[in-house]
Amino acid sequence: MTRLRRAGLAPDRGPLAVAAEGPGGLRLLALDPEAGALGLRPGELLGRVRARIGVPLQVYPADPEADRAALLRLCRWAEGYAPGVAPLGPAEAADGFYVDVAGASHLRGGEGPLVDDLAGRLARSKIPARIALADTPGGAFAVARFGAADRVVVPPGEAARALGGLPVEALRLDPGTVSGLRRLGLRRVGEIDALARGPLARRFGEALLLRLDQAMGRRPEPLAPLTEEAAYRAARGFLDPIGRQSDIVVTARLLMAEIAPRLERDGVGACALRLVLHRVDGVTRALDLGLSRPERCPERVATLVSLRLDRLGAALDAGFGFETVALTVTVTGPMTARQTDLGASPQGDGIGVLADALAQRLGRPLLRLGARASHLPERAGHTLPWTADPTPWPDHLPPRPLVLFPRGEAALDVLSTVPEGPPRRFRWRARIHAIVHAEGPERIAAEWWHTPGAPAAGRDADAANGGASGQARDYYRVECAAGRRLWLYRDGPHAPGRPAAWFVHGVFP
Amino acid sequence: MGLDPANQTGRDPAPGSPRERLAALRARLSASAGPAAPPSVLSLDLPAIDAHLPGGGLALGPPHEIAPAEPADAIAALSFALALCAARLARTQGAALIAAAPNQPLPHGPGLAGLGLDPARLLLLEAGGDAEVFRALEAALHARTLSALVGLVQDGLPLKPGRRLQLAAEGGTEGDGPPLVLILRPAEAGLPNGAATRWRIASAPAARDRFGTLDNPRWRARLDRCRNGRGGDWLLEWDHAAHRLRLPEPLARDAVAAGRSRA
Repeated sequence: MTRLRRAGLAPDRGPLAVAAEGPGGLRLLALDPEAGALGLRPGELLGRVRARIGVPLQVYPADPEADRAALLRLCRWAEGYAPGVAPLGPAEAADGFYVDVAGASHLRGGEGPLVDDLAGRLARSKIPARIALADTPGGAFAVARFGAADRVVVPPGEAARALGGLPVEALRLDPGTVSGLRRLGLRRVGEIDALARGPLARRFGEALLLRLDQAMGRRPEPLAPLTEEAAYRAARGFLDPIGRQSDIVVTARLLMAEIAPRLERDGVGACALRLVLHRVDGVTRALDLGLSRPERCPERVATLVSLRLDRLGAALDAGFGFETVALTVTVTGPMTARQTDLGASPQGDGIGVLADALAQRLGRPLLRLGARASHLPERAGHTLPWTADPTPWPDHLPPRPLVLFPRGEAALDVLSTVPEGPPRRFRWRARIHAIVHAEGPERIAAEWWHTPGAPAAGRDADAANGGASGQARDYYRVECAAGRRLWLYRDGPHAPGRPAAWFVHGVFP
Repeated sequence: MGLDPANQTGRDPAPGSPRERLAALRARLSASAGPAAPPSVLSLDLPAIDAHLPGGGLALGPPHEIAPAEPADAIAALSFALALCAARLARTQGAALIAAAPNQPLPHGPGLAGLGLDPARLLLLEAGGDAEVFRALEAALHARTLSALVGLVQDGLPLKPGRRLQLAAEGGTEGDGPPLVLILRPAEAGLPNGAATRWRIASAPAARDRFGTLDNPRWRARLDRCRNGRGGDWLLEWDHAAHRLRLPEPLARDAVAAGRSRA
């Protein structure tokens, strides 16, 4: 609600409510004080409320994601008070945050002034807040939500007294436990605390005691502080803007040298980097560098930046120069320390460097030939980006042509002497080929799951034989009189009375 | 380039003892007197052909040009180039790079076994044009990690990129020496260039095993031009198991095949 009002989406005055889909229709989720004064309660059906009150009620749909984002923004702001800031979790209705001020309150002149300062600044931002400071997160939560005043500082060691009079809901229990306690006539935290623990645990489970102990400070409750978003980032600002390529490269190397120890400490390397150049006139250029393997060597990164700038050339458009250069590691990969041989470097290393250099200089990836388990020759081989650890190839491969055409090329004017045998003569690529030797046939069919007539299943297969898909093909290795060795196939088995369609699919060495 | 006279003089720090100085002087004299031998070569293990090539084999570093005798022999030329790659890879560690301009025939992975080439040791780069092919080859030469480089180009090897490749190869030698550099061009595209050797490859009927089935591939290879060497014309057979070229035995069947291949 506060988010809506601060964003100017909702008017400042008038009863206001946020509703979300619940059992039985839209139900109220949150109310502003004016709506609360009308006697509305969260959880009521919106239709019934509308019928009951005569005043127009403004209702907005709930947006938990935006609420969460707004809370995180607030947490980031609150990190100015102390580094340990944790937003409230779903068990705590996710509408507030903890600040761990231990060891930081003296910076604001003590705990009281700190709370006053925080409350004042929140109020000036039109954020209604209840603030409590206590020994434990649980205690602070209880006092802030259910205490009498908006600002409370619970003195150290007095948590039991401060909490004793609060309702049992203050212990962050699930609704079932709360109603069970109420049925037993236990309404106050102090009443529970006075009871024997054994029967209580048997009746309500361990969670009740855990929450009670956390609030009283008898058991620790670690907070999950917001994590750093980009741990591997370095930036450098310049009084005089830089524009020359060599300056940018040197800066990139220095920035990487700054990041490298952090990467090394965590045992990772950079797989992708982003170099962001902020131009004086506010234009930002971002260069994304991909690496073939995790890397943390500043010189290597500088070389890649240099190659990339080479390729960009004038397209970089330094204008009046760049005033800030930032380097962020966007993707990391595990990189274990290893001992290098003296003298000889492992083979993959050099190729990795070359692959990165080519990727930056030409913008084209280095490829490798990969094997696929498929009977169809056009599916059996493919190219994939180079990686340091190639997958081994199968040991025994049937004879296959050195060059395979992506689709069979039609052999025309076919002359055969034996109806079901290979042709004796045909025309292909504007040339008559007279066959002097033929070996075969080798019958190759698509796998059964590439059913005929399912174009999506065997795209390559369909493309290869020009529409008449799914049929088994009879392949022949033929040698023509000029010494060329071709891979020829007949589409579909021999059928009397039907002209056979012949295709050239590849050429042997 | 330890034998390069220019380098030798520039680096020679005038060693102290007379014996060392004498040895250095001898080395320099022998280097400048005889024909400057290429630092390393890929021997074809065929004395008949190696005798035609300076240094007794295909020089490693400078580019060699391979062209098909006619357009239909493009695959034969590619096979010959890959066979030379396989010969080189069989003698060293490392990998081979094929940088191809658009519309050039690329090898099919499962078919490389027929040449005895391990597909896992082959890298591919699909370049956008001849210029990118040459830049990629140059970068690979500078990187000094690959054993063989093949460039498939559309317009042949112009003088300037050829010279640049030569210079990149001369940058220094370490490990197994510079890679074998092969430039494959279409039959119709011929440019004057500074390639160390120029080959023309034509198809020839393959060898047959004793059951009469197709066995090792054969090509008609003509050495058109060879700097500091002699040209020649041979029928070559590739033994994919031994990774070496062979001159077929002069059997009657082979002679017939050889005669017919030029038809």
